[in-house]
Amino acid sequence: MFERRLYHHVDWGLLAAVLALCAIGLSQIYSATGGWTSIVETQIYGVLLGLIALVVCLSVDYRSLADKSHLIYLAVIALLIYVLFFGAVRGGSRRWIDLGEFNLQPSEFAKAALALVLAKFLGEGRRGAITYVDLLIVGALTAVPLIIVARQPDLGTAATLIPVAFGVAFVAGMPMRLLGILALAGLLAAPIAWQFALQDYQKERISTFMDPAQDARGAGYQQIQARITVGSGGPWGKGFTEGTQGQLRFLPVAHNDFIFSVLAEEQGFAGVIVTLGLYLFVILRALESARLSKDRLGAYLVLGVLASFTFQVIYNITMSAGLAPVKGLTLPLMSYGGSSMIATLAGFGLILNVRMRRFTN
Amino acid sequence: MAVTEDRRRITVRLTVLQIGVVVTFAALAIGFWFLQIVQHTQYEEMAENNHQRTLALRAPRGVLFDRNGKVLVENRHSFNISIVREHTKDLDRTIRLLAAVAGLDVEQLRQIVDPHRGEPTYRPIVVIEDASLAQVAAITARRLDFELPDVVVEEVPTRQYPTDALAAHLFGYVGEASEAQIGDGIKSGAIIGQSGVERVYNTLLMGQDGARRVVVNSVGREIRTEAEVPPTEGRRVQLTIDYDLQKAAEDGFKHAGFNGSALILDPRNGEVLSLVSLPAYDPNDFAAGIDRATWAALNSDALRPLQNRAIQGRYSPGSIFKIVVATAALEEGIVDPGFKVNCGGGATFFGRYFLCHLRGGHGVVDMRTAIEKSCNVYFYTLGNMLGVDRIHKWAEKLGLVGLTGIDLPNEQESLVPSTEWKRRRTGERWYPGETISVSIGQGQVTVTPASLAVMIATVANGGTRVTPHVIRAVDEGGGWKAATPPAVAERVAFRPDTLAALHDGLWMVVNAKGTGGRARIPGRDVAGKTGTAQVISIRGRQAARGSGLDLRDHGWFVFFAPKENPQIAGVIFGEHNEHGYLGAPIAKHVIETYFAKKDGQPLPTLGPKAAPVPVPGVDPDSVPRIDSQPIAAGVAQGTNAPGTN
Repeated sequence: MFERRLYHHVDWGLLAAVLALCAIGLSQIYSATGGWTSIVETQIYGVLLGLIALVVCLSVDYRSLADKSHLIYLAVIALLIYVLFFGAVRGGSRRWIDLGEFNLQPSEFAKAALALVLAKFLGEGRRGAITYVDLLIVGALTAVPLIIVARQPDLGTAATLIPVAFGVAFVAGMPMRLLGILALAGLLAAPIAWQFALQDYQKERISTFMDPAQDARGAGYQQIQARITVGSGGPWGKGFTEGTQGQLRFLPVAHNDFIFSVLAEEQGFAGVIVTLGLYLFVILRALESARLSKDRLGAYLVLGVLASFTFQVIYNITMSAGLAPVKGLTLPLMSYGGSSMIATLAGFGLILNVRMRRFTN
Repeated sequence: MAVTEDRRRITVRLTVLQIGVVVTFAALAIGFWFLQIVQHTQYEEMAENNHQRTLALRAPRGVLFDRNGKVLVENRHSFNISIVREHTKDLDRTIRLLAAVAGLDVEQLRQIVDPHRGEPTYRPIVVIEDASLAQVAAITARRLDFELPDVVVEEVPTRQYPTDALAAHLFGYVGEASEAQIGDGIKSGAIIGQSGVERVYNTLLMGQDGARRVVVNSVGREIRTEAEVPPTEGRRVQLTIDYDLQKAAEDGFKHAGFNGSALILDPRNGEVLSLVSLPAYDPNDFAAGIDRATWAALNSDALRPLQNRAIQGRYSPGSIFKIVVATAALEEGIVDPGFKVNCGGGATFFGRYFLCHLRGGHGVVDMRTAIEKSCNVYFYTLGNMLGVDRIHKWAEKLGLVGLTGIDLPNEQESLVPSTEWKRRRTGERWYPGETISVSIGQGQVTVTPASLAVMIATVANGGTRVTPHVIRAVDEGGGWKAATPPAVAERVAFRPDTLAALHDGLWMVVNAKGTGGRARIPGRDVAGKTGTAQVISIRGRQAARGSGLDLRDHGWFVFFAPKENPQIAGVIFGEHNEHGYLGAPIAKHVIETYFAKKDGQPLPTLGPKAAPVPVPGVDPDSVPRIDSQPIAAGVAQGTNAPGTN
């Protein structure tokens, strides 16, 4: 299965950058939670399990995986439905399967599963151009897990499924005209969604984003605090574990959603640039893998995995600086969260897989 | 063909994505650059305000000691409870909860908080001053439960005065600085002296507030102290007051059963040994902020407990003024001590008949006897010979004109009329007939107890008009340093025969057949003089009948001891006690205490309250109420009106 010569085609640079980000994340979690706590340990386990998942996803030829994609997809859907009814409730939503020591969040794995199934569907080399029927099927395949996740409710994670579909469809030759129409439709649909689809707390988050000062003690608080946290870091930062905003809990869930704010506070603009550079390197390198891919399937798979990753990275970092509405969206590779870490590293296993097998048949 | 086209499309679209990602990341980097570099200072300040809080550490005021090193006024710890609204989400909720926990009325609490709502949120609003330990305990417990994270308990030093309101008017009281007092080192909310020694020596006593910068977390709990500037305690100040004499004087009043005032000093240097004004207030009521009800009660009290009678009460000196007239006549060389007058119970001047208090008359009296017996006719005669301006001149040399210059605030001026004064005041010329009533301390003569104390001290020491003062030494940090005593106001060396006649006469008042017998102490040679201050004329008395005002006369007693080289002198003013001699026992108790202390003897105590003394047939000081003296009567009423009626 894992031939020796393939070893030489592993993208070590990408892997190193990914691990570097994990390490930065770990150290900032250590800082934000006040030392060596069970949170840090859990995260280390997450990274280790993630690396195993990565190796597994790397070992099996992605084409074989794609052949089984429908099964993987169905399995994840089943898990999501299970969670909807029997999942553990935390913070008002049902997202987790309680495994005793570990809580599994199936929605995190939905992204990779969706990427696989969409890549497989569009990557089957029958014709050049993509049809509207294809796009409808893509939409349906995306909508099923999206709706289930949204009903947990976990709008943030549900939203990360959309980039998967768009990423794959985009490289698969989705007409630009359609992209424009969809964008326009989305814009027009926004007020309707505002009226009917959004929960009150979700509306509040968005309205306070427009004007954080209107509720400086309530919903706007986090956003203002996020800006203060980042801004007060200055060029060189306050020093490791010296950040007052994160340490004194002016910023909630600093080790989770706002891990990048903590980094910006303690390591300053310098640390921000280094980390942004690493993320950019990882994304560009992964796009390179797509370009080098032997077949369309590989390219689409890389894009599917990468799209939600990139979306999440950009959104979370923007939010960390108080420049986007606060949403429960973690920063992949850095935020605390075992399921997210495992799913993300598994995704990178797939990306590495595509590049590694670019010469194999 | 299709495959190549496929490849090309993928490559193009991937390039689009690559560019898109790079641009987005560049935008992010620019965003962070703006926040972290361009706007860094602003956000840094906001972060500091977020987690740092500066707490004022109130400096304890300087401790006040008596002349023997006994602590008079010190500081105790009290607790203030304040609301810091920085992290308050719902102020009304906090107020309701705090009221419930502290057992207070919600409305009342809201009224305290409301005026401060506009202030910056980091500034604490003090809602409970001098909280009880139960309140402190209850609130601290809730704080730990995060129920009242925005309520802080502060320990502050608070002034502690002696019990029984001892020397209240001397010490004065403290209070929050008013708008007008802010500036020159006094910050808003500072506690400063508002009266008495606390006010005059506020700069010495105030000390320097410190500050503590603490780190607080997002719910306002203090995490650690970042920096601390400890407060500097105010200077220790030693007063000239002798605790035992102060107590003796106040005990004397309590024992005698009337209000009034006393100022007792060392005639050699003007050091005030005791200053009494009764009724008094309790300065402790002010120490932690006075409540409105107490303040209103003190202000509306008809007995005016806030007035320091010793320096603010102005009364007619009555017969005490005869000492001034005697001094003037002798020093001006108009008469010698052997000058004799025949008192037949009255005399006619300028066509009016002026009564002596003794109907049958004193017969032939010389200076010494006239002082001893307080013969009106003798002093009418001297006054007539002197004229008002020379009386005024010597009254001034003895300290009865203007201020004594004592180092206490809001002293009132004493007044002895002169022709010049009357012209300025009324535009009318002086009638010589008015001089007759002035010569027995009636008419427009109004003086403070303090000025009479200076007068008797000047007579006692032979002509040196000392400036009474209450500060003795200050500890600037390197041990006690004597305070510079105020300059002597005037030095006039009385002629020996003047002094001998005055001292003899005053000695006879106490030790012979005079009115001051109740101050007699064998072997101590106490000299003194009684006097009665008419509160209202007979005519005025009739007009005021039924008004409910206390119209009884005030009594004076001035004294010094011993006769040779006097060491203690002073004045006892008895408010509405009717007879000057009733003040003599108070003086006696003080003098006895003074000498007992000096000789290392046990201090005297006052026996059980004396039974009311039957009034002697004739009060030698009682003023002849002559209705043919319209001017004097009218003025006496007018000048006495403030402070006594």
